[in-house]
Amino acid sequence: MSGMWANSEIEADYDPYAYYGGSEYETHTGDPRQDLEYERQYQSSYIVPEVIKNFLLFTQKCINEQNLFEVQNCYENGFNKLTDRFFKNSPWPEAEVIAPIVGNDQVFLILYKELYYRHVYARVQNGPSLEQRFESYYNYCNLFNYILNADGPVPLELPNQWLWDIIDEFIYQFQSFTMYRSKLGKKSEDEIEFLRTNPKIWNVHSVLNVLHSLVEKSNINRQLEVYANGGECFFVCLFFLFFFSFTHCSHNLINICFWHIFLQQNLYSRVPTCQMTTFYYVGFAYLMMRRYQDAIRTFSNILLYIQRTKQMFQSRTQLYDQITKNNDKMYTLLAICLVLHPMRIDESVHSQLREKYADKMLRMQKSDLQEFETCFSFACPKFLSPVPPNYDALADSFPKEPFKLQLRVFLEEVQQQIQIPTIRSYLKLYTTLPISKLAAFMDEVSLLYQDGWSHHKMKNLVWTKGTSGLEGEFQSASEVDFYIDGDMIHIADTKVARRYGDFFIRQIHKFDEITRTLQQATY
Amino acid sequence: MRATVASLLRGIDRYNPENLATLERYVQLQAQENTYDIEANLAVLKLYQFNPNFYQTDIAALILLKALTNLPHTDFILCKCLIDSNRLNEMPISRILELAEDLETCNFQRFWEELRDIEMIGAVTGFEDSIRKFVCHVVAATFQTIELEKLQELLGSITDNQAQQWANKYGWTLNNEGVVFVTNQEENIKTKNITEKITFESVAAIMASSR
Repeated sequence: MSGMWANSEIEADYDPYAYYGGSEYETHTGDPRQDLEYERQYQSSYIVPEVIKNFLLFTQKCINEQNLFEVQNCYENGFNKLTDRFFKNSPWPEAEVIAPIVGNDQVFLILYKELYYRHVYARVQNGPSLEQRFESYYNYCNLFNYILNADGPVPLELPNQWLWDIIDEFIYQFQSFTMYRSKLGKKSEDEIEFLRTNPKIWNVHSVLNVLHSLVEKSNINRQLEVYANGGECFFVCLFFLFFFSFTHCSHNLINICFWHIFLQQNLYSRVPTCQMTTFYYVGFAYLMMRRYQDAIRTFSNILLYIQRTKQMFQSRTQLYDQITKNNDKMYTLLAICLVLHPMRIDESVHSQLREKYADKMLRMQKSDLQEFETCFSFACPKFLSPVPPNYDALADSFPKEPFKLQLRVFLEEVQQQIQIPTIRSYLKLYTTLPISKLAAFMDEVSLLYQDGWSHHKMKNLVWTKGTSGLEGEFQSASEVDFYIDGDMIHIADTKVARRYGDFFIRQIHKFDEITRTLQQATY
Repeated sequence: MRATVASLLRGIDRYNPENLATLERYVQLQAQENTYDIEANLAVLKLYQFNPNFYQTDIAALILLKALTNLPHTDFILCKCLIDSNRLNEMPISRILELAEDLETCNFQRFWEELRDIEMIGAVTGFEDSIRKFVCHVVAATFQTIELEKLQELLGSITDNQAQQWANKYGWTLNNEGVVFVTNQEENIKTKNITEKITFESVAAIMASSR
């Protein structure tokens, strides 16, 4: 709080209203917080221009009339345009200022506040303050209470993109708060005290509770079965991706059998970010579970999709940036997978990969652990620690700890199989090869293992295991397969013919989607 | 027990620390009765993660050992990801990690040597046999023929009789020269050309929409 004091004192010196004397000057109460509040209010009520007022009223009307098309337009275009014009780096007007304009419409105010805080998180310098973080949390509570506590379906329909963004932001703010909380070093004692006395805010259990309830409420399972393209569909994947980013419970994620349906059916859904995030997390989960073939399939599917649809989003800058960033991450992960498990992928994805990541892949193929680490750190999701730090120990409580754990698990895994590409490349040259000969090759490469025998078996195992375990079935999908007969290794090479079917299916889907969009547009 | 536990794991209750005692007992039960339930075990580890004060090394170690019995599935990695990294360096967890590494890299000889030093193994019924099952899985995937001596070594220096039993179980035959014939790999592993097949499911959607 001491910082605040200092600030407001300085401000008081230069207070422009001081010159007008009289009543306005007296409203400075001496309490810095109230003053600040007052100033903020004063300023914002002062600058709410007609355009904004009209925009808000129009949006409110559209929401109340459930005119989805217009709501979406307001949300995606109107809000962003006005932000750029009026509030590039400063917050939107406070909800209290807006309240009289919209006639104290509670639901609208909640939605407005959601946007307000999201904007604070994204654009305002110095980020949100502790109070704002807390208020934003309470606002989410209100929103979710409104949705969850109603008996029937809530008479509030929002565009899919908005729904997705709400959940996405909710999770983002939770992540952000967790990170913020674990950096104790820079905080004043008051702030720490505040955190200590409010353990319920952004608490893991309440956040989980919300997500669980949303899933129950939205009847995801049933919806997916009949493939209702309802907006609430998105809750499910979000729910699981949240789980995952949280503590890496990839098992849960994959274990859900119906996600397959989701991935296939929703490939052409209308919320691109949702789709990308889902694929990203699913792919990452596969990677960590050592199911490289599945991971590669997942990544190349979505990357292909991005590649073909990217132009569509060029006009929406924020979205475009997000997609580009995600795209890079996924290419990096794909590169890792392909180094560990070479296989044939779609040509256009492959050429992109060669263009951008050839160096990285080469280094990884040469068993450069450092490169693996760099790539992984760049491309992995955020990992969080679910427990609050020890507020009494003032030092930073290792906010990176969860990340380090994942990195360690990953690198140990890589280390176990790092030799495999080398061996594979030797084996590819032969149809039969005595073990002694391979051992001779290998010893040049590494003297790590003294026992030639166990050495080779290591390769064998990971090799058989390193391949896909789809639905508990172990299949070797690598290009080279082999067996050992006595002292002789027999090698079988596999040639895979090019696949056209997928390409055509995708094109047909895409064409279908275009036709549908056109029909909608003409309508 | 399995059904009761499954009901505990549904929904938000999964994160209720009050269930921890039941779940821990269930872990011990799994160890004694040689059953396995990865879902419950992961839930226990997750609860430890949320409530570090309740953490019990013994239970965590048991869970890891149980995960090893389910090789070649990757359960062990999942469990490992849920345990704090400083805890991974503690005894006996660190020893178990070494064991896992030996198994993953198929360094079976070293695995059996190191296993002797770990007392906890006795608490997990059927641990060694589960591992042998895994070894057999690897052998079956890799070898066409293998010397009997080698096989015994891989399975943890077992007697001729036991080796014979394992071989019988998997339908391997022992010839007179002390060589075990595993399976005719030539049948399974050969140069092949894969041509594309399109399943009906993948085109069903198209056919439906273009009707």
